[in-house]
Parts: sequence; C-alpha cells; structure tokens
Amino acid sequence: MKSNKTFYFGLTMLGTIVLAAIFAPLITRFDPIEQDLMTTLSSPNATHWLGTDAFGRDVFSRIIFGARIDLTIGILAVLLPFIVGVTLGLVTGWFGGRFDSFIMRIVDTVIAFPFYVLAIALVFIFGPGVKSMIVAISLVGWVAYCRIVRANVLVAKAQDYVHAATLTGLPTTRILRKHLLPNVISQAIVFSMSDIVLSILAIVSLGYLGLGVAVPTPEWGSMIQEGQPYLLQQWWIATIPGFMVVIVGFSLSLIGDGLVARLER
Amino acid sequence: MSTPLIRVEDLSVEIKTGRGLLKAIRGVSFEVGAGDSIGIVGESGSGKSITLKAILGLLPNNAQVTAGKIFIKGVDASTLNKKARRALISETAGMVFQDAIAALNPVISVGAQIAEVPRFRLGQSKSEARATALKLMQQVGISDGEERFDLYPHQLSGGLRQRIAIAIALSSNPQVLFCDEPTTALDVTIQAQVLRLLLELRRDSGLGLVFVTHDLAVVNEICDSIKVMYAGKFVEIGGVDDTFNRPTHPYTYSLLKAAPDPEAVVSRLFTIGGEAPNLTLPVLGCPFAPRCFTAVAECGTSEPELRAVENSQSACFNSHEHKSWRAAEQKSGAL
Repeated sequence: MKSNKTFYFGLTMLGTIVLAAIFAPLITRFDPIEQDLMTTLSSPNATHWLGTDAFGRDVFSRIIFGARIDLTIGILAVLLPFIVGVTLGLVTGWFGGRFDSFIMRIVDTVIAFPFYVLAIALVFIFGPGVKSMIVAISLVGWVAYCRIVRANVLVAKAQDYVHAATLTGLPTTRILRKHLLPNVISQAIVFSMSDIVLSILAIVSLGYLGLGVAVPTPEWGSMIQEGQPYLLQQWWIATIPGFMVVIVGFSLSLIGDGLVARLER
Repeated sequence: MSTPLIRVEDLSVEIKTGRGLLKAIRGVSFEVGAGDSIGIVGESGSGKSITLKAILGLLPNNAQVTAGKIFIKGVDASTLNKKARRALISETAGMVFQDAIAALNPVISVGAQIAEVPRFRLGQSKSEARATALKLMQQVGISDGEERFDLYPHQLSGGLRQRIAIAIALSSNPQVLFCDEPTTALDVTIQAQVLRLLLELRRDSGLGLVFVTHDLAVVNEICDSIKVMYAGKFVEIGGVDDTFNRPTHPYTYSLLKAAPDPEAVVSRLFTIGGEAPNLTLPVLGCPFAPRCFTAVAECGTSEPELRAVENSQSACFNSHEHKSWRAAEQKSGAL
C-alpha cells in the first residue's frame, strides 16, 4: 500500500496549493500587482515572507495569485484536449474505416512535430495571451488521448460484454457511452495527470518567453523571467516560482501513480 | 411448416492468421425453429463458436464469411446493412456466453444491465424497466431481485452471474437463445440449475435453443438433436437418442467412448489419438482419417459428404458398418 501513501501525499500537497490559490486574498494582505518602490528587492522577512521583487511586489502574494492562473490554464489546457481526444478515440476505435484512417493520419502528423515547436508556432499565430495558450496546447494535446482511448476501444470491442450489449440491440450511442467509455477511460485519466504537469510546464515556458499572460498579472513563468537578472543576489525571486512548478509537477506525478494502482488493478 | 427463425446454408468462414488463411467453417447448413433444441458438439477449434459468431454478426475483423447464406426469419442477412442486420438479429436471437464475468459490464450494476434493453430499446419508463428487470430476475430464478439489483458483477457468485447474463439475453425477448458453453465455467449443481432454467424457458415460451458445447452429457440432457462438428464441418447429424445409442460416424463413436462412464472401472480414460487437422492447409480426404480406427484407402483421397444412414446423417464412407465397430475394434485390439 505504498502507492496509497504517496497518492495521499501528492493529493495533500496539491490540495494545499489549490486551497492557497482559492483563498489567496485571505492569506496575504499584499496585492500581487501593487508596486511599492520603497521596498524593492528586500530579502524574505516577517512582513514579506518570500521577499519582494524589483518593483517591490510581495513574492509570496504573487506566487499564490500566480497559482490561480497557472493551475486554471493547466487544467483547462488538459480538459479540452481530454474531451476531444477521448471522444474521437471512442468513435474512431468503434467505427474504424475511412474516418478512423483520416483522424489517425492527423494524429500521426501532430505527433511527428516536437510539442514546443508546434505549441509556440500556434501561439504566434493566435497572438500571445491566455486563450491562445489554451487553444494551442489543446490543439497539440488531444492526439495522445485519442490514441490511448482508441487502442483501448479496439481491445474492449472484442470483449463479450460489448458483444452482449450489441446483440441485445441497444443504440450505439448508449453502448459507446455506458459500456465502452467507463472501461476504456482509466488510462486516459492517469495520463491526464502527467499531462497537466506538461501543460503547466508549457504555460510557464511560454510565459518565460513572453508569449503567455500579459504583465503585470502574476504568473510563475513570467516571474522566473523577471527574476532572472537578480538571480545571484536575490535568488528567491526566480527560484521560488520554479520550485512551485516542481512541487506541482511532483504531486501530480504521485497522484498519477496512485491512480494507476487504483484504476488498473 | 413456417419459416425457420434461423437458417444457415452452406456457410463457410475463413480467418486470417499469422500462419495463413484458416478455413474455420467449411460448408455448414442447419436451421433452428421455435422450440427446437439443438446441440452442436466438437472439440476445441472445430468451428462451433465461430459458427455462432457468424450467425450473430460478431465475427472478429480478421474473419470473413466466404460462402453460404444466413437467413434470419427468412431474410437473407447478406442483403441487409450492418444496422438493419443488428436490429433483426437482436429481436430474433440472444446469446449466453461461456464466461459470465466477461459477458457482464464490470462498471454497471447487474439490475441496471438487465433494465437497459427495456429502458433504452423498448422505450419503457425508468420504473417500468426496473419492474421488467425484476421480473426477468425472478424468471431466471433470482428470488431476492430487489436486494441484488444494485450489486456489481464481481459481487455475485458464478451461478448468479450466469443467471444475470441469461436474464440480459432474455431482456430483448429473443425467440432463439444461442448458448456458447454456458455451463462450462460452473460447478455441477449450478450447471443443473441453469440447464433446468433453460429447459423451462423452452417449454414455457417456445424458446429455441442452440447449444454449443463439448460436454456430451449436457447435450444428452437438454437437446433433441445433435450436430457433431469436426474440422469445420458437420460429420454427423441426428436425434439425440439415435446418435448417443447408435453413432454412425467413427468420430462420434470415439467421442462417446471418451466420455467417462461413472460405473465402469477403468485405470485409464479413453482418448482419441492424434490431433485435429491444421485447417490452414488444404484438406485432403476425410479430415478424421488419420485418427480413425476404421479408415480405408479411399478416406485419404476424397472427403465424404453427409448422407443418410438409418435415422441419422453421417459423413463417413464406412458408416453402414457402424454396428460392427465395437466388435471390429475389439478384434483389432486398437485403442
């Protein structure tokens, strides 16, 4: 039951961060955007728990407000491709034929591109911003879900319970929704956990490259970028947001591992 | 006589395998009418299950009907599109699978699975469908349906699962029930209960039964006629009494001999030597000849067709000699 412990550990860590993000205004009394040019670049102290940045903004406050942005986009950028990919995987796997070949060739094409090259190109096309980031990551991300689900459908399709359901003459939509979907989705759910990590990394990277959320909105990627010039003297400005990315990634990985143990048995 | 519910004419099925094209069924014909009870027996790989799957339209992608016709209620299935065919077969036939746990959806409660067809195909309301499901559960001998309704397949015993699977098969009001070794995974007492249940259904509602099995005792108990399958063909067709008492094909004869007799005291059970032919290769002569105790030269060159022998039909050149087999066998000391 080791996986159980790590699962709850990951859940607790992520839960803490999510709660902090939700109740951010209650936890910190500093506005994440408000500048205080009298106290720039101060080191961590009793007032500013994680110090302040070059504009005198409270780093702790920016971290937890930034979590709102990063986690929301991270989850949205997985939810959309999850829905699209799972649906297409179900349909292509079940019906096969030309539609299946057509979709699978698109999947092959998308997979042939390196993830970041495609994502960055798409963000350039749509223009920087939250919406285009989500759209770009979704356009690249759905293929993985499509493949995973399709492969599972191909296996499940030959199972007797699917045969039995088909034989009783149930409508196809019902067979897909009730008999196939719950039995093929677990791997996709597990994958989505690590995919959230990837998409948060992507958002942070895009933010770092200046393609993400517009300044001065707090966001971990742009915080790292802004803190970079002060890395040697005021290391906390750039390092702590990076550390947050690691913690979120780590806890999601633990949750993912725990889900594997629970769902796949 | 009215149109048979299911009629199969000279059906052939081929399966693509890694070792070449496997001729799984090589020309099989039979029909099922209301209230019939037909047993199809044969060893593993003889094509019994594939025959059922071909009729029900459940063949895997690598298998194909290459010849012959399947008529469902007199309609040629090959003239129908996939959807129409599915609709027709689902109102005509149901199927009970060998392994009930695999035939039940693990994530839906058993009651909901039985209520599914009444609710979503027959258009009943939620409460009507529940009542129908409970009635079906009652019908298959589950008296405390209310309590079992919300249980999941893994929470039930093997016998109950198979009853649930039968209830699901019956939920679409089929006139024929195809059973693919429905009792193989069950112990003998549960097996007897399930068989009794099927016989009752047949008596009460004229349900036609097609039983695929390698258990001769089961066939003897619930079938009227028997079809013995070997290497993708029927080699003997007859009434159960005739065939069990006077087999007219050496394979049937050996098969019956191989069934253990609880009263005989023997140190070793009888087995049929050799193995079934590789159907990826062309069949030369009678496929059973290499294992046959009465094979003659002719058996190696041409394949016998089914022909009438007394009340049965047999695909054997020597079938007219069947009465002398026991004596001949004892004399030669073979087997």
